Amino acid sequence: MINPTPLHRRCFLGQAGLSLGAASLGGLLARDGLAAAGSPAAARGAIWPLHHPPQAKAVIFLCLAGGPSHLETFDNKPTLARLDGQPMPESVTAGQPIAQLQGKELVVLGPRKPFSRYGECGAEISDYLPRLGGLADRLAIVRSMVTEQINHDPAHTFLNCGTAISGRPSMGAWVTYGLGSEADDLPGFVVMTSKMGRNPQPIAARQWHSGFLPGQFQGVEFATSGSPVNYVASPPGVSEAHQRDVIDTVAALERHRLASLADPEIATRIRQYELAFRMQMSVPELADLSDETAETLQRYGAEPGRATIGTNCLMARRLVERGVRFVHLYHSDWDHHGGIEPYMDEICPPTDRAAAALLADLEERGLLEETLVVIGGEFGRTPMAQSKDNGAGRDHHIKGFSMALAGGGIRGGVTHGETDEFGYHAVTDIVHVRDLHATMLHLLGIDHTRFSVAFQGLDAKLTGVEQARVVTQLLA
Amino acid sequence: MRFPDLSLRTAENPPCWSRGVLVAFFVACGLWWLAIFQGEAARGEEATPDFNRDIRPILSHNCVACHGPDEHDRQAGLRLDDPAAAAAELESGLRAIVPGAPQSSEMIVRIREQDPDLVMPPPESHHVLDEAQKQLLERWIAAGAPYAPHWAYVAPKAWPTPAAIDRAWPRSWIDAFVLDRLKREQLAPADDADPTTLVRRLHLDLTGLPPTPAEVDAFLADSTADRVERRVDALLASPRHAERLASWWLDLVRYADTVGYHGDQTHNASPYRDWVIHAFLENVPFDRFTLLQLAGDLVEPAEGEHPDDRVLASAYNRLLQTSHEGGIQVKEYRAIYQADRVRNISEVWLGATLGCAQCHDHKYDPLTSRDFYAMGAFFADIDDERHMGNAGFGGGTNTLPTTRLPERAILGPFDRAEAERLDREIAELTKMLSAETAAGNQATGNEPEPAAVVAAREQSARLTRQRESLTRAVMITEQLKTPREVRLLPRGNWMDETGEAVEPAVLSVLGSLNVDGRASREDLARWLTEPVAEGGIGELTARVVVNRLWALFFGEGLCRSTDDFGGQGEPPDHPELLDRLALELVASGWDLRSLIRQIVTSRSYRQSSEASAELLARDPDNRLLARQGRWRLAAEHVRDAALFASGLLVEELGGPSVRPYQPAGYYQHLNFPKRTYAADTDEQQWRRGLYVHWQRMFLHPQLAAFDAPTREECTARRPPSNTPTQALVLLNDPTFVEAARGLAARAMRASTADDKRLSLLWRQAVSREPDATERAVLRELLARRREEAAANPEAARAVLGVGMAAADVSLEPSELAAWTAVARSVLNLHEAIARY
Repeated sequence: MINPTPLHRRCFLGQAGLSLGAASLGGLLARDGLAAAGSPAAARGAIWPLHHPPQAKAVIFLCLAGGPSHLETFDNKPTLARLDGQPMPESVTAGQPIAQLQGKELVVLGPRKPFSRYGECGAEISDYLPRLGGLADRLAIVRSMVTEQINHDPAHTFLNCGTAISGRPSMGAWVTYGLGSEADDLPGFVVMTSKMGRNPQPIAARQWHSGFLPGQFQGVEFATSGSPVNYVASPPGVSEAHQRDVIDTVAALERHRLASLADPEIATRIRQYELAFRMQMSVPELADLSDETAETLQRYGAEPGRATIGTNCLMARRLVERGVRFVHLYHSDWDHHGGIEPYMDEICPPTDRAAAALLADLEERGLLEETLVVIGGEFGRTPMAQSKDNGAGRDHHIKGFSMALAGGGIRGGVTHGETDEFGYHAVTDIVHVRDLHATMLHLLGIDHTRFSVAFQGLDAKLTGVEQARVVTQLLA
Repeated sequence: MRFPDLSLRTAENPPCWSRGVLVAFFVACGLWWLAIFQGEAARGEEATPDFNRDIRPILSHNCVACHGPDEHDRQAGLRLDDPAAAAAELESGLRAIVPGAPQSSEMIVRIREQDPDLVMPPPESHHVLDEAQKQLLERWIAAGAPYAPHWAYVAPKAWPTPAAIDRAWPRSWIDAFVLDRLKREQLAPADDADPTTLVRRLHLDLTGLPPTPAEVDAFLADSTADRVERRVDALLASPRHAERLASWWLDLVRYADTVGYHGDQTHNASPYRDWVIHAFLENVPFDRFTLLQLAGDLVEPAEGEHPDDRVLASAYNRLLQTSHEGGIQVKEYRAIYQADRVRNISEVWLGATLGCAQCHDHKYDPLTSRDFYAMGAFFADIDDERHMGNAGFGGGTNTLPTTRLPERAILGPFDRAEAERLDREIAELTKMLSAETAAGNQATGNEPEPAAVVAAREQSARLTRQRESLTRAVMITEQLKTPREVRLLPRGNWMDETGEAVEPAVLSVLGSLNVDGRASREDLARWLTEPVAEGGIGELTARVVVNRLWALFFGEGLCRSTDDFGGQGEPPDHPELLDRLALELVASGWDLRSLIRQIVTSRSYRQSSEASAELLARDPDNRLLARQGRWRLAAEHVRDAALFASGLLVEELGGPSVRPYQPAGYYQHLNFPKRTYAADTDEQQWRRGLYVHWQRMFLHPQLAAFDAPTREECTARRPPSNTPTQALVLLNDPTFVEAARGLAARAMRASTADDKRLSLLWRQAVSREPDATERAVLRELLARRREEAAANPEAARAVLGVGMAAADVSLEPSELAAWTAVARSVLNLHEAIARY
């Protein structure tokens, strides 16, 4: 159990001219007259007090983008090994949505690597992920995930925003809106990306967009090379002192204006300039990994200046240390239609190393118990082979796949749910994407049924209009 | 000046609707026919709650999700959105509402119930009625539970213009309505805004650009009584006004330069954007504007209308997001595209959230799932097949731009004159060359061609290339021979083919189309804008439109929910005024310009936006209009204002989208194909914001930071924010640093005296003169920056090197650097990006 967000810390991007106590969009969108300048309410999110005591106060979502195979990670299917190369029973696939295998012969592909049992819990995890296996007792593995979208772009939108319709807030935006942020000089919602060298699927800013919520809840993209954040560097030839001078001048002029014109937006603007300046100072410090030991860098596989999964996982730890509420890591190139073996050989070791290092490091620093870590992609992959020149692969699959969770409020050593013997349909304890969202919100102290914003006639929720449930079996 | 007095038209005596049509309309509104008169009769009686204002919101927010129009999900067989059903005997034998007898009404029993298993709304809904709401319901039932049709489905009435007590204040009937309300609230309107504020407001609101100091001075020096009207007329006639309105419309119809899904490739849409600007410039009546977009391929050109206009306009049907991600299933995407179009048309023209009915009947409004698919069926004849094809890849390509057939190479409206000029020149050259040929003056054997012929031939080739570059491809609407079959998809599931086939039809709650055979997009467009008396819903559509126009000039609509005129939206704060504006728009022949003119010349518009603490406490959201609104400029206008002040702004109309400076690597996540952003290296760099390449997946970070929408869906209001990211953009984006240099250079060229320079620089950005304190603060900054620039000339040169605008060599670099710091400070002021 941890305490709810302390009040003395300020909400960075969430305090912009809003009365955040009110969860109505009407209030949020009022153009005028509702500034929260200096008000204590600004330190919090829209939900205050929280619906119940939170188990976690930050989230790291490690998104393995492209759709990692559940059959080569967390879902062991001996039947597939036995039937490898034989026709897939039509009874399983008839009438099912199919992506690139439309109209093709459907043949079973056995797991590409053996599974081993790990930890006291004896969880089955693929030999592709031995280090995560070593942390099995910390992990809750869900083998019965289902989603509704079979193509990457809408599937990501569905996973992140709870609907495939564009223009809705992403979960990081929802969480930051709901809880505010504890970071003094960083955004509450940070996005970082990494990819392997191939030809990864595109990602859209929609995946971290604030949708109909105001822009301050949008994920801010941090880059590991070049300027870490867009426009965070002063113009060429403008020293820190020069920039400070300009900002102080702006502030002096704004204060003078405010004295004769009670426009709360001006007060907010003054504060945002101060925060912008602090961000200009703090972001380079944050991105500078020189204060990490060589051992730490090696443990994560981090390479300063290079956007690798290792670097980004280390950055994620640094971000939550500094009070960032939601860190969204995108690690691309899991779309293995062909050549699943060589590609998994390439992508799994650094991912396994970085993810395991992150969990262990967070735990050692006492942060894991208040940080929810979610590892998974937008869907899984078919038990059927897809043939390509570079060897067999698997097509997109939405009726059953796996994710792993750890940290704040998660019961370790749990393997939850099952797919059928083919790893095709989730059959027991099915966890829909919206159940994942409900569970995440629950751990953060939010009742998903009471967390809504009026938009276009709907009390819009992250969990959407269908029933969603908290997966209590995953809770500590 | 024309302020038509509509006061003779009253609700009891409609000027143009036949009685029969009215009856038909109300019959279409179902059982509300009787109720409306009860509602009318009850007006003015303080004790009886007003259904639309007081009761409907309670029922809508708390009850009808389970006891409403969605028959699949209706609990206890109870429907509270319909008077007859609400009063009928239920399965249980009880009656939810017994008109006149609250104590016998099960609804009241249940909302007063203490037992958590019985109380309504149930605890798990998290809806709680407070005591005031319970009493309202009781009083309403006691008064006979009079229902009234939902305001947005009832044709606007010609409410008489209120007789103002203060005859001096109103300038028009608009003001009479505003003042009447203020009077009833015992408030007085604000003073008129000071002239500098007013002229800046007019320029920003009508054109998206601030006035120049000279334009401010001219306005201040003008002592004639109609200076506002004359300035308004000049602004309304300017192309800048057309550009400003275009931004508004492009948000609604979700115009963007890229497909939005997956590879987010550029698609050919910019000629449509130019057509929109041109249509506003020509003040094309809104009904025609509607018809051309929905059904340009089905209609003949009107007199005086260029035949290409309807082709360009028909690109509206192609603006939706499209995909040809590998492995898409054609049937799924047909359903996705259909839903996209239904959401857009219902949002844009009806202010209705019909998109909710994709999977089920609407929970709050009388819109059925069948309505959703019947609306979709109007668009089933649009050729998407040529770019989707059977394999899902079809005619779409991973190229830049992508191909999304059908397309046509066409001249944008602003390129026609230039094309004609070139055609004439080429024709003359061709004629000259053939004359030369006939005269035998061509190369024969070893004899070279005469120089004049060579020159003419080269000139002709050059002009021909120039002429060809003027045409641009645009996606257009073409009809399929046979429309796609549209089935009602149970739960929205595209794989479920058990639903019935549906034909095109308009929303059943609003009646039906009287056409032979299959209704077309043309029928739909005409229905949207034809008057109620002629079988359409024109006045209803007009109300949606005028409400959004009002929001452009006051910051908020008269109905706050500009995106939702349904039961979950807000009832209008000034319903009578909204009605009258709608009728005015229709009566004027859908003349948007005339309507805007009436709004911005009103006294209400001219009020100061300053609010006393008392007024802020009384009416924090400015619903009563006892003052003007104040807000930050739209993202595009933040850019435009800086470029305008700097003198860098390049004002051209239309053309391909432009690419301002953008952080390196911003498109790194785009693929199929990979994208390298190349900023424009010519004067296109300094075009207005509305022409910026609109990449749906990664909108330009300056636009995104200032709340511009991605335009994946209809945006009727941009959620405003005030963030540190905005500060970082204004401080550090090369566009704004370069603009500061331009502004500094402009001030330096204008005068050698510091004080005059300060004044000019300040006025370019915020229109008014700086006061003594402001001057002093800036002079101190200037002194410090001069010292620093002199001490560190290298740093000074580096600042001046930002951007590609040529350096003014006549200006001393360190002095220019110091003034650039001053200009940066001024361009970063809230006032520089705000409208008061």
